[in-house]
Amino acid sequence: MSLPLSSPIHRTSAGAVAAGDTEPVIAVQGLRKTYGSTLAVDGIDLVVYPGEVVGLIGPDGAGKTTTFHILAGVMEASAGEVRVLGQWPRHARLQTGYLTQQFSLYLDLSLEENLRYTAGLRRVPTARYEERRDRYLALMGLAPFKARLAGQLSGGMKQKLALCCALVSQPQILLLDEPTTGVDPVSRREFWDVLATLAATEGTTIVVATPYLDEAERCDRIALMYRGQIHQIGTIQELRDSLGLHRLEAHLASVQDLDRAAATLLSQNPPNQPPTIADVQTFGDRLDVLVSEVEGGIAELRSRLAAQAIPLTSLEVLPPTLENVFVTRLRQHTSDPPFIPFPTPRVPRPMPPLAIAATHLGKTFGDFQAVQGVNLEIRYGEIYGLLGANGAGKTTVIKMLCGLLAPTSGTMALAGQTENLRGAAIRQRLGYMSQKFTLYDDLTIRQNLEFYCGVYGIPRSQRGDRIAWVLTTCGLADQDQLITGRLPQGWKQRVAFGASVMHEPEILFLDEPTSGVDPLARRQFWRLIEDLARRGTAILVTTHYLEEAEHCNRMGFMVAGELVAQGSPRDIKASQPGQLVELVVDPIPAAAAYLKGVMAPWRVSVFGDRLHVVVDHPELALPRLQSQLQAAGLQLRSLRPIPFTLEDAFIGLVQRQETGP
Amino acid sequence: MKRVLAQAVKELSQFWRDRLTVALAIVLPLLTLFIFGFAIRLESQNLPLVIQDLDNSPRSRAYIEQLFATNQFKPVPWPQGLTPEAALDQGQARAVVVIPPDFQRQMMRGETATVQVLIDGTDANNARFLQNALRATTHAFNQAMTSPQRPPPVAAETRLWFNPGRQETLFIVPGVMGVVLWVYPSLLAAIAMVREKDRGTIIQVYASDLRAEELLLGKGLAYLAIGGVEALVVIGLGMGIFGLRWAGDPLPFLLGTLVFLAAAVMFGLFIGVRANSQNVAVQGVALIGFLTALLLSGFIYPLANIPFPLSLISHIVPARYYIELSRNTFVRGSGWSGVWWQVAMIVLLGWLLFSIARRLLRRMQLPD
Repeated sequence: MSLPLSSPIHRTSAGAVAAGDTEPVIAVQGLRKTYGSTLAVDGIDLVVYPGEVVGLIGPDGAGKTTTFHILAGVMEASAGEVRVLGQWPRHARLQTGYLTQQFSLYLDLSLEENLRYTAGLRRVPTARYEERRDRYLALMGLAPFKARLAGQLSGGMKQKLALCCALVSQPQILLLDEPTTGVDPVSRREFWDVLATLAATEGTTIVVATPYLDEAERCDRIALMYRGQIHQIGTIQELRDSLGLHRLEAHLASVQDLDRAAATLLSQNPPNQPPTIADVQTFGDRLDVLVSEVEGGIAELRSRLAAQAIPLTSLEVLPPTLENVFVTRLRQHTSDPPFIPFPTPRVPRPMPPLAIAATHLGKTFGDFQAVQGVNLEIRYGEIYGLLGANGAGKTTVIKMLCGLLAPTSGTMALAGQTENLRGAAIRQRLGYMSQKFTLYDDLTIRQNLEFYCGVYGIPRSQRGDRIAWVLTTCGLADQDQLITGRLPQGWKQRVAFGASVMHEPEILFLDEPTSGVDPLARRQFWRLIEDLARRGTAILVTTHYLEEAEHCNRMGFMVAGELVAQGSPRDIKASQPGQLVELVVDPIPAAAAYLKGVMAPWRVSVFGDRLHVVVDHPELALPRLQSQLQAAGLQLRSLRPIPFTLEDAFIGLVQRQETGP
Repeated sequence: MKRVLAQAVKELSQFWRDRLTVALAIVLPLLTLFIFGFAIRLESQNLPLVIQDLDNSPRSRAYIEQLFATNQFKPVPWPQGLTPEAALDQGQARAVVVIPPDFQRQMMRGETATVQVLIDGTDANNARFLQNALRATTHAFNQAMTSPQRPPPVAAETRLWFNPGRQETLFIVPGVMGVVLWVYPSLLAAIAMVREKDRGTIIQVYASDLRAEELLLGKGLAYLAIGGVEALVVIGLGMGIFGLRWAGDPLPFLLGTLVFLAAAVMFGLFIGVRANSQNVAVQGVALIGFLTALLLSGFIYPLANIPFPLSLISHIVPARYYIELSRNTFVRGSGWSGVWWQVAMIVLLGWLLFSIARRLLRRMQLPD
């Protein structure tokens, strides 16, 4: 099924042209692609107009990369009509810039050499090349690193360089396949600001895939892709409206009540009336409740909680997130992955109060202070999120806590022990899963699981149960003889997670556990994590998905090796100084450029057709802002305060730390 | 053309940046040259020989003296308290010569004296060599003993042309050049090609409108240049250390080297286009390239000895023609008239490899 295409937005900004009277730059009809007997793309219709930013979102294996390959002309379609700029994609290749999912850079060449080579490939005359190189390197803030090898850049910088390479031939269309995966939030926001600038000032049409649903909100239109089909496409507003639900954020007096509250809210609606409560999701310090109608929903919620004597401290009505939209759509097509609680009940053991305690933890590599003065206290049953940009020291902290790296200074205690943290006895009680967690690709799934059972010394009598649990949880019950290497990344990740918790660790370290996992699976993943926490496991998790960090009970933000803020998601958002305001201004690009000139650039970011601006003293700043915009000849259509997201808080913290307020 | 050059320049700067590869590109050919140049000796020397002289007469001693007159054999005592054959069993000697007690007496009587020779046949090559050498020595001894009453009816007067001293390096080193200049340039080219696929950078190439031949020629040009440097080093050392000299006009050889390197690079690119990982590419070059250049090229084993179906393959091994060419250049020196065919064959095979690689790549797209 596919919903009717919504009309493209009518933008009035510089590079934009109203639809209807213009030819689409990309027109796809009935596109199909099969590899052998697998259907990768199953009949896609997509029309993109000049100057649009269209987001493709979907889990791994949805067919996004195949679609990009076909649009870029590097792969042939099995069936369907594909027109790029009115031609076959192959013939439009020089007008198309394509950023592949892998860094498409030569890591052993310098920035300049990479750019020069691409320019040569794409027949860019030397004089133009030099002019564009300087312009784009400056735009991305890469100009000082011209002579550096691409391999020595950080992930975010590599992506910006790859974007420069794609831009050097000044393509009319940019195809970006998950350009921000594995890139930290700060770099990600900068990257998106550059995209917004390009679309606005150069009229570049951008099609971008992303696994981060929050950043997809910055697109003009968003297409939800699943199993080779586009299930819905529209502006963020249209998608939200089509859902017909409202989101209530409920904070309870006690975090311990969250599970009970969720259970009572999810219990059967009375059969004779339509359900008012459509969905409930638990987060680290709150519940998200989707209701079909605000008044009735709030009443229902209050009455159900009151019946269980669960005190409510606050309730906010907010628009549903893109994740809500996506998960709801997905549920119309597939069932949720099964949630199966852990097989064997935990034998109660006397426990020290703290699972992880670290005081003044520091690590120096040569004369580089990677981590300094980190104090952490994580209780049993708590989910603690460690967040920070790449290179902020998160991985170093985890490695020290796991006993993989000896700290230079400070003391730490794991499970109440301070001595012999690298010994086998304590390791049996830890679990660790990293993004690069390696299952052996050439063994079957069962062999892998048996191997880890052996490694963790699980008693033989329990092995069968534990392996069966992992397999059913992953939905792989009959496929345990499958060679692990043949699984898609997201599935592997689940098996890996299963393998790392099979021995029921008391303390679990998860280093970016959910990259590349689709939203439904991610929800199931978090239910599992929450289930483990409920059984008393202490969990330390790092993630780049700030949306997801909301699942943590508490979190800590690291900047340049130091822990700069700690608290519950709500505390952290509340402790942000100032206010976030949403502006609708005409024209957006000029307004963004202007505001970035009069205040620190990080305070301004473009979200689709509106601007988000952080001001420290709203009562003083807002009137000034209005007069400034007016003086600059920019038309302010609306202005309203909106709550900070974790991402805003994160970026604010990092920027204030680095540049001063 | 501009894009071919852009491709080549990028390839060279990538190569130059990776100091390990640069070092290997020079060191590996040198090592191979030295190992083959110094270690391979087709002619055996100082073979251990045990003599049991049961006669111990002036004649038998003269015979023994004749055996050790050249450096082909060296005497070894047989193990204490055992029979001479035990020396063969224990591997202390390669052959045993037993001179019977009535050796001198039989000769004096004008009868034929019989000498027993036991040869260790484990190493068939050496055994044949020993057999021939012992026969020849015995023959020479016979000639010396029987006074020349009448001249022999036919005497073959043999002279070795081109390599009068039978210097083995003149045979081996030009052959090694064929192996080295085939294997290493193709290995580097194959890795360069497959690395683009490994890292996904090939998609950027596909996403431009670069044509297959431009890609192949660009990469080919870069590795031809690198192969050229290797060739200069190998030829220089061949002349400097192994004493090779131009026997005639070097021009056909220099041109032939260039086309041979081009063919080698095309072979590497072809393997790189087919292979999907560096491992496969390296193994492909090692198995197909190295083995054929070593075994089916006439480098060590004479082409005439290759049995029927395999001998057909040897005709499409470019190293075969190059080795013929280089041997001609350093030993025979007959100029174009002797080698035009070899050069033509190398050009043909190189073109063939290029065409196949281009055909495989012609769509410049990801495979389905």
